[in-house]
Amino acid sequence: MADTDKANQELEELFAAARRDRPALPEHLSAAILADAGRVQQGRHAAGPARAARQPLWRQLIEAVGGWPAMGGLAAASAAGLWIGLAPPSFVPDPVALAGYEDSGNAVPYDSYDMAMVLSEDLQ
Amino acid sequence: MSAAAEEVSDDALLVLYANGDSRAAAELTARLGPRVFGVAMRVMGIRAEAEDVTQEAMLRLWKMAPEWRPGEAQVSTWLYRVAMNLCIDRKRRARGGHVDLDAVPEPPDPGRSAAEQMQDGARQDALQAALMQLPERQRQAVVLRHLEELSNPEIAGIMDISTEAVESLTARGKRALAAALAGRREELGYNDG
Repeated sequence: MADTDKANQELEELFAAARRDRPALPEHLSAAILADAGRVQQGRHAAGPARAARQPLWRQLIEAVGGWPAMGGLAAASAAGLWIGLAPPSFVPDPVALAGYEDSGNAVPYDSYDMAMVLSEDLQ
Repeated sequence: MSAAAEEVSDDALLVLYANGDSRAAAELTARLGPRVFGVAMRVMGIRAEAEDVTQEAMLRLWKMAPEWRPGEAQVSTWLYRVAMNLCIDRKRRARGGHVDLDAVPEPPDPGRSAAEQMQDGARQDALQAALMQLPERQRQAVVLRHLEELSNPEIAGIMDISTEAVESLTARGKRALAAALAGRREELGYNDG
C-alpha cells in the first residue's frame, strides 16, 4: 500500500514536471501553420466572387426563383393552368358568362328576316 | 496580438479569421498550436510526426472556420479530437515500424543546474518511454488527463467514448505507468525512505 502511494506520488511529480516543461511550438512550424492559414484565407476570398461570375444565366434565374424545388412547383402550376384552360372541368363556371357576355338577346340579327326586309325596302 | 486580444474567445477569433482577419490566425496559432504540438509529441513520440500532425490539424481548423458555429463546442476540444484521430491514423499506417524515442527532445530549463537538468531529462525520457508502452487509447487518455489537465467529460468528447470509459482508461494507464517506472526508481534518483 505504501509502495503504491509512493509510486503514485512519483508519477504525479513526473506529470507535474512534464506540464512545466511543455515543449514550445517550433518557429518553423508556427510559420508553416500561418502560411497555411493565409493560403486558405486567400483561396476562400478569391474563389467566392469568381464562382459567382462563372454561373450561367439560367442557373442564376433558377436560384432567383428559389432553386430546383421552386422550379418543380412552378412547372406543375403552369401545367395545371394550361390543362384547366384547354379542358375546364364541369364544376368550373364558364369564364365568358362570368364576364357578363350573352350570346343571345341583344345580338344583331344581321342575317335575319327583319334585316332582309330593311334592305329590300331601301332598294325600292 | 495585444493584451485585449487575450480576452477574445477562441470562438470569436475563428469567426474573425473566417472573415479575413489574419491577426486572428496568429493569435489562434499562438494559443492552440503549442497545446496540439505538446499532445502530439507525447502521443506520437517522434518530433517530426508530431509536427506533421500539428500542421495538419491546424490546416483543418482553417478550412473548417467558415462552417464553425460559435457556442456549440470548444475550438480546443475540436482541435484535440482532430489531432488525436490524426495520431491514430499515423500510428496505424506506421504499425510495425519502430518508435524513435531519442527523437523526443529534452526541453531546456536555464533555471536549473546541469545535473538537475540531466536528472529531469532522464525522468522525462523515462516517462515518455513508459507512455509509449501503453496501448494507444490509454496513452491518449493519460496525456489528455494528466498532462493537458482536461476534464473527464471533455476527454470523453474528444475520444468519443463515455466518461466512465475515460476513467477506466486513465486508471489502467496510470497503474501501467507506475509499474513500468517502478523498476527504474533508483536510476531516476528516487530514493527509498
